[in-house]
Amino acid sequence: MSEHHITPLRTYLIIAASLLFLSGVTVWVSYIDLGSFNIVLAMFVATVKASLVAFFFMHLLWDDKKNLTMFLMSLMFFGIFVTITMLDTEFRGDLGLNPETKDPINKRAAFYDTLPLTDTHGHPVDEHSDEHHEDKDHH
Amino acid sequence: MGHHNPDSPSHLKHYFHDVNQQYETSKFAMWAFILTEVLTFAGLFVAYIVYRSWYPDMFVDAHKLLDVNKGLMNTIVLITSSLTMALAIWAIQKNNKKLSVVMLVATFIFALVFLGIKYLEYSHKFEVGQLPGEFYSYMGPDAVHLNNPHIFFSIYFIMTGLHGLHVAIGMGLIAWLIYSTQKGNLTPEYYTPMEMIGIFWHLVDLIWIYLFPLFYLIG
Repeated sequence: MSEHHITPLRTYLIIAASLLFLSGVTVWVSYIDLGSFNIVLAMFVATVKASLVAFFFMHLLWDDKKNLTMFLMSLMFFGIFVTITMLDTEFRGDLGLNPETKDPINKRAAFYDTLPLTDTHGHPVDEHSDEHHEDKDHH
Repeated sequence: MGHHNPDSPSHLKHYFHDVNQQYETSKFAMWAFILTEVLTFAGLFVAYIVYRSWYPDMFVDAHKLLDVNKGLMNTIVLITSSLTMALAIWAIQKNNKKLSVVMLVATFIFALVFLGIKYLEYSHKFEVGQLPGEFYSYMGPDAVHLNNPHIFFSIYFIMTGLHGLHVAIGMGLIAWLIYSTQKGNLTPEYYTPMEMIGIFWHLVDLIWIYLFPLFYLIG
């Protein structure tokens, strides 16, 4: 076991500091409106952070490359999963037009349309409360 | 390999040539497990991507119901716990058992803090009715215009819930590491369990690195 690479303490501290710094950066830029570029930037920063964790904390940088290969394969399969799923979900317009398939799904999906209004604490509010000032203790 | 070499260390299984082959095999198997973990979460990430592409505005508005400060706090806690986990391995490599145990205990405490903050978030959402699927009942002024917000909260609870379960399992594993290290079972010559659990713990951090911007920072 003596041949195992021992990562210097300095490296760990620098990586952790970079991760904390990048977390701050990603929060900060989320408050700037960049349109659809926001999500691209957020995912880019997340991927930089994830790479730092994988290569340094998980020791992939010094490992035999078979471990990195295994990890990259999982990401490749994820890519295939996303691509093939979205080829369906993004282009199934015709399916949505068929009332026989659409209606039962929509009926279920929109159940909350009938939900009563609540305040910010989740308690139901009377829609006509302006007209009933007298019964405050009604509940 | 007909006989057992009396000079070989006690942790070496007879079906391995040497300790290094045993160590490398364990590590490769761990990465195979990490692959299955990534693919488990991949299904949920796909659900997130599909529903976000169907309800882009609802996702942006519904995420404002989450508490960014608590999310950021948990990010900091988890990154720090990853550092202490890495330092626990570093310490055992340097034959510093005491420091290794201290670092493991710190990791355990950070994990506990993470779940504590998560508990505060969840209990608030249960209270106001920002819940998955048909349990959703929140119709406050900041949510009344949302189109199908229960879908956002279904995905939020399943993804952060499964992640939280991983944190809880990780705590159990770290508790066992504290016991083993303290007892002297893990040494600079043999610390494979700590390296494996470390990889698992960093994966938990890695997944949170994506969950945090996707739920708390979008838009």
